[in-house]
Amino acid sequence: MNPSKNITQLNDHELMMQYLEGKLMGNELHEFEKKMIDSTLLNDAVEGLQTIANKKNIDVYVTDLNKHLQNFTSLKKKRRLKNRIQLNDWTLLSILLIIALGVVCFVIINLLN
Amino acid sequence: MINNKFDHITDNELLEKFYETSNNEYLGILLQRYTLLLLGTCMKYLKNESDAKDAVQQVFLKAINELPKYRVTYLKSWIYMVAKNHCLMQLRKKNIITDIDNVSIENEDEFDIENYRLKEFELQLLEQSIELLNEEQKKCVLLFYIQKKSYTEITAALGFTLMQVKSYIQNGKRNLKLLIEKKRKQTNESI
Repeated sequence: MNPSKNITQLNDHELMMQYLEGKLMGNELHEFEKKMIDSTLLNDAVEGLQTIANKKNIDVYVTDLNKHLQNFTSLKKKRRLKNRIQLNDWTLLSILLIIALGVVCFVIINLLN
Repeated sequence: MINNKFDHITDNELLEKFYETSNNEYLGILLQRYTLLLLGTCMKYLKNESDAKDAVQQVFLKAINELPKYRVTYLKSWIYMVAKNHCLMQLRKKNIITDIDNVSIENEDEFDIENYRLKEFELQLLEQSIELLNEEQKKCVLLFYIQKKSYTEITAALGFTLMQVKSYIQNGKRNLKLLIEKKRKQTNESI
């Protein structure tokens, strides 16, 4: 979290953390609570996060989960890339086989003649 | 934490990019925006930090596997529904709840009370409808929306618990919406 930021520059994550830490005041506090009334997801999330005793853990959990998420998404990407490479290998092999077969046929025909 | 390069791109745009390119990188960036919200939601239902973390990972996996299969237009509602269902299933496995069908999943409420302040006619409808709310809901709605008091201030002023205040505002707002729509319909029919 960046304490030097103006309140209007904070993203949803930072706003939520400020709310949980009791740092939102006046109009910002009211606007955030209005958002909570309008969004069941935000309301449930805040209620759940309020039950985490040590608020410092929240950022640790989020960082951890985001790392796992990156692993999930890059794993699928790698797998897809690997499949594409395997496909390319087979194509290359087939082309080489056809060329080799052509050369063999050419040599046999020449020898027979 | 979240890739700043994509900050200006909306959720819908990222989702569209993902559907166009099948590039999971877009999905990763999009889902990261929901990590904290999902963690909180799972905590609310599972009430255990480790279980909540595991649940968020399961929701991510489900999103990565399911989203390419069909087109989701409103990710926020979809992912909330997935997370809530997953938590309820976990609770059922532990026999904490026995009937999931009785737990309703609400959609995101798009009703914005501010819009009703714009027109005088709407304002009249709003005033009349507020009067029809029960006393608790009326007090909470007025203090919250008109006097812009926070939950804590309302709790202190009226002596309700925080959960009661939230519930009165939420239900009051929902009832207001219904009452306004009913009155508007009646007015249109009489014209």
